[in-house]
Amino acid sequence: MSRRALRALLLLAGASVLLAVWAFPILWGLLTSLKTERDVLAYPPKLIFEPTLANYREVLFGSASILPNLWSSLVVTGITTILTMLLAVPAAYALARLDLPGKRSGGFYVLATQMLPPVGLIIPYFLVLQRVGWLDTYQGMIAIYLTFSLPFAIWLMVSYLEDVPREMEEAALLDRAGRIRTLLYVILPQVRGGIAVTTIFVFLNAWNEFLFAVVLGGNRVRTVNVAMFNFISVEQTLWARLAAAAMIAMAPVIILGLLAQRHIVKGLTVGAVKGGGRR
Amino acid sequence: MSAVGRVKLQGIVKRHGNVTALHGVDLEIAPGEFFALLGPSGSGKTTTLRILAGLENANEGRVHVDGADVTDVEPGERDVAMVFQSYALYPHMTVYDNIAFPLRMVGTAKSAIDSAVREAAAKVRIDHLLARRPGQLSGGQQQRCALARAIVRKPRLFLLDEPLSNLDAKLRLETRVELRKLQRSLDVTTVYVTHDQEEAMTIADRMAIFMEGRIVQVGTPDEVYARPASVDVAGFIGNPPMNLLPGRIAADRLHIGDHMVALGRDLGAEREVTVGLRPAALRAGPTGLPAKIDLIEHLGDTKLVICRAGESMVKMRVDKAASFRDGDDIRIGFDPGEIHLFERQSGRRL
Ligand SMILES: Nc1ncnc2c1ncn2[C@@H]1O[C@H](COP(=O)(O)OP(=O)(O)OP(=O)(O)O)[C@@H](O)[C@H]1O
Ligand SMILES: [Mg+2]
Repeated sequence: MSRRALRALLLLAGASVLLAVWAFPILWGLLTSLKTERDVLAYPPKLIFEPTLANYREVLFGSASILPNLWSSLVVTGITTILTMLLAVPAAYALARLDLPGKRSGGFYVLATQMLPPVGLIIPYFLVLQRVGWLDTYQGMIAIYLTFSLPFAIWLMVSYLEDVPREMEEAALLDRAGRIRTLLYVILPQVRGGIAVTTIFVFLNAWNEFLFAVVLGGNRVRTVNVAMFNFISVEQTLWARLAAAAMIAMAPVIILGLLAQRHIVKGLTVGAVKGGGRR
Repeated sequence: MSAVGRVKLQGIVKRHGNVTALHGVDLEIAPGEFFALLGPSGSGKTTTLRILAGLENANEGRVHVDGADVTDVEPGERDVAMVFQSYALYPHMTVYDNIAFPLRMVGTAKSAIDSAVREAAAKVRIDHLLARRPGQLSGGQQQRCALARAIVRKPRLFLLDEPLSNLDAKLRLETRVELRKLQRSLDVTTVYVTHDQEEAMTIADRMAIFMEGRIVQVGTPDEVYARPASVDVAGFIGNPPMNLLPGRIAADRLHIGDHMVALGRDLGAEREVTVGLRPAALRAGPTGLPAKIDLIEHLGDTKLVICRAGESMVKMRVDKAASFRDGDDIRIGFDPGEIHLFERQSGRRL
């Protein structure tokens, strides 16, 4: 066998192992979600069984439906994402372009907030929300979510905006576009990819968030991640339903990921090649 | 001659932190003039142009256009168009949309935009490329697109920052001529930045020569060539620039090493000078400055003979038929009228 073929084979084998490790829990979860609770507990685990959609029916439309929780997740995540992007793009533009005093230290602060462990923040956040009466409300959750999504989005958008040549913007200014129209017609169209990537990351971060949702939410605002834990109780754990709920909660993540795959890969490598992704 | 587009810069000082890019620049440009800002890299040409465009603010000094003080006027309100060295085309728009952009921004009617875009594109001969994106154009076509975008709205001032520097040598020569014709036909005051003295000499009506953030000379190409105002200018203009040799004058005599030349005019007390001699003004003869040939460069219809005279290197441009060989001892002759003299200390022309 030639060295090339051997290399290809080894790479393939390596990739398969990695994929298997990554995909196994998801496949296991998928299988579990299609089993009856009795089959789930069978030992040794059954690989061949009669699949059922009962778990999905139950978690969606049964007594413990997660539909309201999906809605809560969607509201919190959606509004967080929209607000984040509306605020982050102009903020990032300002940071990328204008000679603002304290720009450097401001940029560092933005980055530093990303490094704090969220556990350390949860008590102050809880107390603040309690004081203003925003515990277990959408506005409270969204406000807290903004504290982590906004710095992240700004930081990401700054790097995209800095890649737009300054002269292009100056050309637009000389063409009488003014700052706002320059941003809308000249700059933003060139960072479309960056905006897409940032939006997706912000959405995913918010959708996957668990810790704040558990502590700051409640009966009114309970995201789907939190709600899943209703299937785990002291007496028993409804594994099949938990798996079904998890599959449903994961669906948007996977769909978004697939839709944006091209963008994300391109977005992550932007700037790696000078002039790349400009067209 | 056009009536608008008179420019006046007064005492412009520009600092970047503790770097001073411009130390008090004064400049007047007449309407319709093709004016070059010439100087070596880092001498402040771009900075001057950007201050004129309003893209940068001067720390001191005033900018006047057509008698009005525009120092604090926004770039968009100055009615100037600029072609950037990088062209700065909008990559997500077609050529058509690029050219139309400045008109759309001021709300020109659709039909008027269409005819203006086509006219501008035709002027720079890219009317067959209107549907393409900048990324699908060659460097020369991109440059034309940038030109079209600048001329489409008929500005009163046309600013070009090294617009030819991204083109290959042949295209650069062609475009230079076209640019000149275009400017004539539009009759717009044009300020043209370049570090290429030959480009400035061939294209400009007048030019300002920048050195280290100061204008050291303003004049027509002929004036600058004939009477460089300082040693720095003398060493910058001409291809190759003039030979600069140390010398000494006393009354009407010039001494270069042991060689003595009668100047025919009395320059007063004895002092050290720098002597400037154009390579084309030199010839080998029976008398003159003794020198030894180091190297001969063949330039096609002429030859450049590079010799050593004492401590200095002297370049002499001769006919291609002239027979010289490396290592020959020659004497370099010149007319007293071809001698440029500069004060040794200050570098100023005598
Ligand atoms: N933003 C800046 N910050 C600091 N220094 C600057 C800045 N812009 C320009 N300078 C300095 O100002 C001086 C003049 O720069 P300028 O760009 O005007 O030169 P130039 O004549 O156009 O040169 P080139 O031919 O290389 O384009 C240079 O010394 C440069 O380093
Ligand atoms: Mg420059």
